[in-house]
Amino acid sequence: MSDETRETRIEAQNPLSASQKNPEKTSHIKSLIWGGVVTLIILAFLPVPLFTTNLSFMFYMMLWLTMATSFNFVAGMAGYMPFGYVAFYGIGAYATGVLYKTFGLPIPIALAGAAAAGVAIGLLLAPTLRLKGVYFGIVSLALAMAMKLIISLMPAKITGGSLGLILSGANDPTMAYYAMFIVLLGALAAGTWLSMSRLGIALRAIRDDREAAEVVGVNVVRTRLKAWVMATMFPSLVGGVEAWYTNAIDLESSFNLLVTAKSIVYAMAGGLGFLVGPIVGASALYGIDQLIWRHFPTLNLLILGVVIIALMLLLPRGIVGAFAQRFSRFRRFIP
Amino acid sequence: MNELLLQGLVNGIVVGLIYALIGVSLNVIFGVLRVVNFAHGEFIVLGAYGAYFAQQLLGLSPLLAMPLVFLVFGLIGYGLYFLLVQRLSRSNDPEHASLLVMFGLSLVLGALMLLAFEADSRSLNFSLEPPFLMFGNVILPTTKLLGLGVSVVITGCLAYFLYRTMPGKALRAIIMNRDAIQIVGVDLNHLSALTFGLGLGLAGITGIIVSMIFPSFSPFIGQDYTLIGFIVIVLGGLGHPIGAVAGGILFGLAEQTAMVFFSGTVAMLLGFVLLIAVILIRPAGLFGVQNLR
Repeated sequence: MSDETRETRIEAQNPLSASQKNPEKTSHIKSLIWGGVVTLIILAFLPVPLFTTNLSFMFYMMLWLTMATSFNFVAGMAGYMPFGYVAFYGIGAYATGVLYKTFGLPIPIALAGAAAAGVAIGLLLAPTLRLKGVYFGIVSLALAMAMKLIISLMPAKITGGSLGLILSGANDPTMAYYAMFIVLLGALAAGTWLSMSRLGIALRAIRDDREAAEVVGVNVVRTRLKAWVMATMFPSLVGGVEAWYTNAIDLESSFNLLVTAKSIVYAMAGGLGFLVGPIVGASALYGIDQLIWRHFPTLNLLILGVVIIALMLLLPRGIVGAFAQRFSRFRRFIP
Repeated sequence: MNELLLQGLVNGIVVGLIYALIGVSLNVIFGVLRVVNFAHGEFIVLGAYGAYFAQQLLGLSPLLAMPLVFLVFGLIGYGLYFLLVQRLSRSNDPEHASLLVMFGLSLVLGALMLLAFEADSRSLNFSLEPPFLMFGNVILPTTKLLGLGVSVVITGCLAYFLYRTMPGKALRAIIMNRDAIQIVGVDLNHLSALTFGLGLGLAGITGIIVSMIFPSFSPFIGQDYTLIGFIVIVLGGLGHPIGAVAGGILFGLAEQTAMVFFSGTVAMLLGFVLLIAVILIRPAGLFGVQNLR
């Protein structure tokens, strides 16, 4: 008994040595913090439809939380910068629209089809994962533009041509809101799995030193592929649910490069590589973005550009990253 | 049909050389600074506006506006280097950081152009006598010929600069080995700033040529040019100035011949397919050195 109290006192005085002694305790605290964050998110979003019918603000907040979180899977955990991330969002929107409108399937099946389409395209593009550095980013961007062109070349009977698709009859904002809520929870669960399991350790090892990871027996191709598939599935689902929520799909908004840009900015502003990074970044910047939209719609892009430049030059590791650097002894507790 | 194909090939070479010019300046910047200039297209469009206002306000012909635009853009580039680019080299991942900063700059420039020049597209009031020449059955507008000539001259000057002059050689040496060049006493910062200025100056001139040949320009088309530039440099090999010329001509030929037989959309798609094919066969581009990093 007395031994135990003494040990706790020492731990309180010197957390560094304590956590070195007791790595399980560290990861326990980390899980607790992460559990708290997820609980907060659930409490914040779950009851919203009970209080108001104006769901738009919270709906899009969940959308960006999901996009930034899943972008973190490839950018933060695997070290790739897919500049054509919007491709999966657009594919998801179009898959949902085509399956619902052209083939007359119910929305849930159309959404499942969207996820499948995103994963299928992701697997098709998996060979690009062997490209290094900016090559990958540029090729990914080119592929996103190619997807847009391919859809625009498809017969208008299927994809609605330049007019896009209107999902009349599917209008149910509350259901769409909860669908997005489930997608967000799915992304958070996938993030937990990716970062707190052995897979997460393997991913970070590959990101930091590929050769070394290979030597100790990490299967580089398969590990990366898992993160990649996760990172392609969620934007497809998000695109599909957004299409359901707005009931409208068109090429320009489904393949707008700003979708990629905002996912990157929100994830980076929080801090890539941390589970809470994209959540902090998206919650902080989304509110600011909405304020700018409301008051200065013409300046929106200008300010977004300035924010990106300022972030990269002044806070390249993001809010959480900067915190972890400043207070490095708490770093091990940040999920 | 053969004449059409021939016309397509001739157009392909003209357009391809302009694409090459976009790629060369992008590649000079990337090779020396490891900066992926996402805002390149916006600078090209700004160059076109420069020619437009030089004509409207000063009565300068686009050809005379070229040295002026080159100088102004060069100075802007020199300044921007110290403002934005220099800090990037301290980042953990300078290439991705540069891509994002330049993306931000491209949003800023696009928005500023939209505010300053408004959304309607403009065109240069520029024509030559005679308006076109006939070679057999192939029609060649004289403006395109002039653009072709200017592109060849500029590419030639650049090649001379890079391969025959001391600053040019120092610049290529940075591309080959950043660390060694500092040992032999080259002021890396100064030369890097000059390179960024050179790249933007070339982008400005490219914008003028573009405005002479293509019918119109607007604040929105910057990203299209950036994308074309990216395709060209990945085709030719990142950081390889002369590879970009080959990549540009290849892309121009593919796009323009496809335009003859199919639609513009298919032509653009073909460019992307070409890019993916080259990347899968030779991941470092046609002229790139394998394992560049």
